[in-house]
Amino acid sequence: MKGNVIKYEQDNIDTDVILPGTYLKIHDYAELATHAMEGLDPDFHSKVKEGDFIVAGRNFGCGSSREHAPIALTHSGIKAVLALSFARIFYRNAVDGAFLLPIEIDEDAYKDISNGDELEINVATNEINNHTKNKKYQMKPFSEIIGKIIAAGGLFKFKP
Amino acid sequence: MSKTLFEKIWDSHLVLEEENGPSLLYIDRHLIHEVTSPQAFEGLRLNNRKVRRPDLTIATEDHNVPTSNRSLPIVDQVSSIQIKTLEKNCKDFGIQLFGINNPNQGIVHVIGPQLGITLPGSTIVCGDSHTSTQGAFGALAFGIGTSEVEHVLATQTIWMEKLKPFEIRVEGKRKNPFAVTAKDIILSIIRRIGTAGGAGTVIEYRGETISELSMEQRMTICNMSIEAGARAGLIAPDEKTFEYLRGKKYTPKNYEELVAEWRENLKTDSNAKFDKSFTLDAKNLAPQVSWGTNPAMVSDVTEKIPFPEEFAKDLSQQKGVEKALQYMDLKPGIPITDIYIDRVFIGSCTNARLEDLIAASKVVKGKKVSSKVRAMVVPGSQMVKKQAEDLGIDKIFIDANFEWRESGCSMCLGMNPDILGPGERCASTSNRNFEGRQGVGGRTHLVSPVMAAAAAIKGHFVDVREMDLN
Repeated sequence: MKGNVIKYEQDNIDTDVILPGTYLKIHDYAELATHAMEGLDPDFHSKVKEGDFIVAGRNFGCGSSREHAPIALTHSGIKAVLALSFARIFYRNAVDGAFLLPIEIDEDAYKDISNGDELEINVATNEINNHTKNKKYQMKPFSEIIGKIIAAGGLFKFKP
Repeated sequence: MSKTLFEKIWDSHLVLEEENGPSLLYIDRHLIHEVTSPQAFEGLRLNNRKVRRPDLTIATEDHNVPTSNRSLPIVDQVSSIQIKTLEKNCKDFGIQLFGINNPNQGIVHVIGPQLGITLPGSTIVCGDSHTSTQGAFGALAFGIGTSEVEHVLATQTIWMEKLKPFEIRVEGKRKNPFAVTAKDIILSIIRRIGTAGGAGTVIEYRGETISELSMEQRMTICNMSIEAGARAGLIAPDEKTFEYLRGKKYTPKNYEELVAEWRENLKTDSNAKFDKSFTLDAKNLAPQVSWGTNPAMVSDVTEKIPFPEEFAKDLSQQKGVEKALQYMDLKPGIPITDIYIDRVFIGSCTNARLEDLIAASKVVKGKKVSSKVRAMVVPGSQMVKKQAEDLGIDKIFIDANFEWRESGCSMCLGMNPDILGPGERCASTSNRNFEGRQGVGGRTHLVSPVMAAAAAIKGHFVDVREMDLN
């Protein structure tokens, strides 16, 4: 999995800025995607490309249980969010619907990765390659259940 | 083996457990609403599945419903479709719905307990993060996403990783419990442990101050557990809990037998171990006001807006505070009581129950809302609204120039007609002060109902302890 980074150097990016409440009425995923990150970065929709990654600080996705948040991100083209930590409901939503990969990284990787860097993520080896900086980082491995749900392709395809 | 209350409820609902692996948990009650359920029903239809236990599933319409005149059609077509979709889904799958014109309609976390759907020792889920509210009854209650809503509809179970028990003790007698409320207790806790302080845990609130709180106050505390990052919050049931649920619409027929069993079992064993513990001393607590853009950015009403440099030991936090103050258009060093407001919202699943409205009305009685402020009261349910009207509370608010509205989530989340305009500043009894939460560019200050009422009268924040009460 290879893509470029859109970095937000801040903690507590909540689901209300990832997808503002007024758009929770929308059922069309492509239309939802046009409002992704609107509360934080109104230019997001024009700059995001298929395959991009978001890099952010602590407690990404805190707040509401709206699955619209990971849906809007994934339909914008985002394949993974790399953060110092995640709020639990967002984390599970991302995995349950097979929308995007929530990847926990450490402080060193977070500081090192810059906006626009090209990363390659290998979930099998838990390795992140920064091709722009020619560096390697380790991601925190998924827990057993999360790894299984991801491998199955979402909650409904998962068998214990 | 000694167990915490959370562990007892968890263990009694396990369908399947693998060592170091996932657990399959049985769900006793599933509450649904119009916003997070449509895709779940769509999924059921696509796969030709039924709702496994329609009798354990209950629906209401709360998030996008207007809180103005209910006899008029919903103007917003997209909202109207979402409401009609829920009505059709409930009809097709045989689910009880408390719709917009039903006397039992209301915010899902308010009506659960009022109808006796919420029971001690049970597992309750809903596609809404504030499901944690119902943990006040000693239930394991938590929010889930739409994929999980579909999974629960289809199987009445959920795959979980076991959460960790977190003890929060609140001790000490408050000097002025009318002015220093449950809201001030929970805001103080979040301020101290942070927005991720409870990540991966279920908080059990304990201690003398918690025991003294009424059921409605306990719900305010458990409601905001999610704002501290915890999946759920719970409080061991006691006689107040059992009394609250007696004789409600859905209270089970063998209730007294159940109470006897709950009294015996639903408590943390004396030598049970928590993963972590935190104690708040409530003795000298002051009313709280949030000044930033997350629920940990909170000060005493007697304090000043902090300087970002005060957070210098954590650079990321310092930057967060700078950004928050910029969004909130607040200067460091000014007293909280110098912050003037445009709007007041008394409502939401945090603070729109009868006791909240009674307390706020005591501050308002015989006074008028400041001419610069637009203030509204939105009861948490139609039942709360009726109870308040029976007591004449509505007249106190209306005489003071508050708007007295129909029940719903209203201005808590900016997805129905009740929103803040850009730059408008609001004293709000809701739970989230995120950027844009109450409307694009809106600025939210989280406070208790009595603090919101006091601010409505004065036009700026005041220490409600100094107000004259009628």
